[in-house]
Amino acid sequence: MRNRAFFVIAALAVLALCAAGQQTPAAVKIQRTADGHPDLSGTWLFSIDLPPTALKRQEGGKVTVKGIDASGRRDPKSAPAGALPSAPEPSYKAEYLAKVKDLLDHESKTDPVFYCGKPGVPRIGSPRRIVQLPKEMIFLYEDISGDPYRIIPTDGRPHLADANPSAYGDSVGHWEGDTLVIDVTNFSDDTWFGEGGYFHSDAMRVTERVWRDGENLVWQATVADPKVLAKPWIMPARVVKPSTEPLEESPKCVESDSKLLQNNDHHGQR
Amino acid sequence: MKYKIPGALITLGLLGTVALWAHHSPSAEFDMSKRMTLSGTLTKIDWVNPHIMFYIQAKDTGEMWKLESNPPAWFRRVGVNRNDFVKAIGQTVTVEGNRSKDGTPFAYILKITYQDGTSLELVSEGAAAESK
Repeated sequence: MRNRAFFVIAALAVLALCAAGQQTPAAVKIQRTADGHPDLSGTWLFSIDLPPTALKRQEGGKVTVKGIDASGRRDPKSAPAGALPSAPEPSYKAEYLAKVKDLLDHESKTDPVFYCGKPGVPRIGSPRRIVQLPKEMIFLYEDISGDPYRIIPTDGRPHLADANPSAYGDSVGHWEGDTLVIDVTNFSDDTWFGEGGYFHSDAMRVTERVWRDGENLVWQATVADPKVLAKPWIMPARVVKPSTEPLEESPKCVESDSKLLQNNDHHGQR
Repeated sequence: MKYKIPGALITLGLLGTVALWAHHSPSAEFDMSKRMTLSGTLTKIDWVNPHIMFYIQAKDTGEMWKLESNPPAWFRRVGVNRNDFVKAIGQTVTVEGNRSKDGTPFAYILKITYQDGTSLELVSEGAAAESK
């Protein structure tokens, strides 16, 4: 009996030590700024699409293989805490389904991103770096179309009344509890909001939600476009790890493949 | 931004993982059924998006070839910088890849081998996982 009690106490002690050394992400205390909001600032994992390949290097008799971490662009294994129920794809109005299919069928020639075009919001995904100030958030990105930035007021001011439409739109943010909610309007209609022929109109409105999940950042966007979508599309949330890799200026984009395309093969026809 | 998948990688069973990122479909541009080999002098590197470009003068015919590969952001994240290629300019290199369907001297590089035997090769994600 005494031995049994000793075993239980020892097991509990081991468990306590394990718990202390290996906190789950959710248990990691969130850093906060002086005004009490979660601190979203920092450098985050590069989350633009990259080829899912690895590099094998053979040098001096040594072989190494290194891959990339694309987790910030992929669906997490399970929805992170706080995520809204999402759908895998948008729902277009019936009269636009044929157009979406046609764009998809010819996407090698029709997708503006293939020709160094701006992905815009929300297609660009989560920011590479966030600078959090008391009255505004600054989002920095790395993208081959240029390295865009967004300055997002969080002091309650309204949208700009005289801004020109753009790929990244006009953003204003506010806090809902520990979540930064960004309302983005005034888009140009020459971007796609996702691969698959996801065109939109100038009435598109995007709501981004950004919060901390332990040491990670979570980014989730909702796309509304009453002109072309049957209902708003809540995109799957992305969990983005912190990164120590500094931002680097993207080299210029020089598209030269288009003249070599021999047919309309698209991604489903690889 | 999205990028194309090298043809040979398709045979490695990556199709199920690439739904989000591909650039132009490679089957519209490259002959993915054959892996060609070319030896020649590396004359120039363009460190540009969406694909870095190599210029190689063929050893046997003297023909100037243009070959593309993955984007700079990808190379950076697997530990390869522009200088890893620039240092070989003027040297004879051997490359393997998929040739353009239009028959022009253009291809997608999958592997480059330098004179000293050093090689850099695009392989499947699974190979990276297995190496750990």
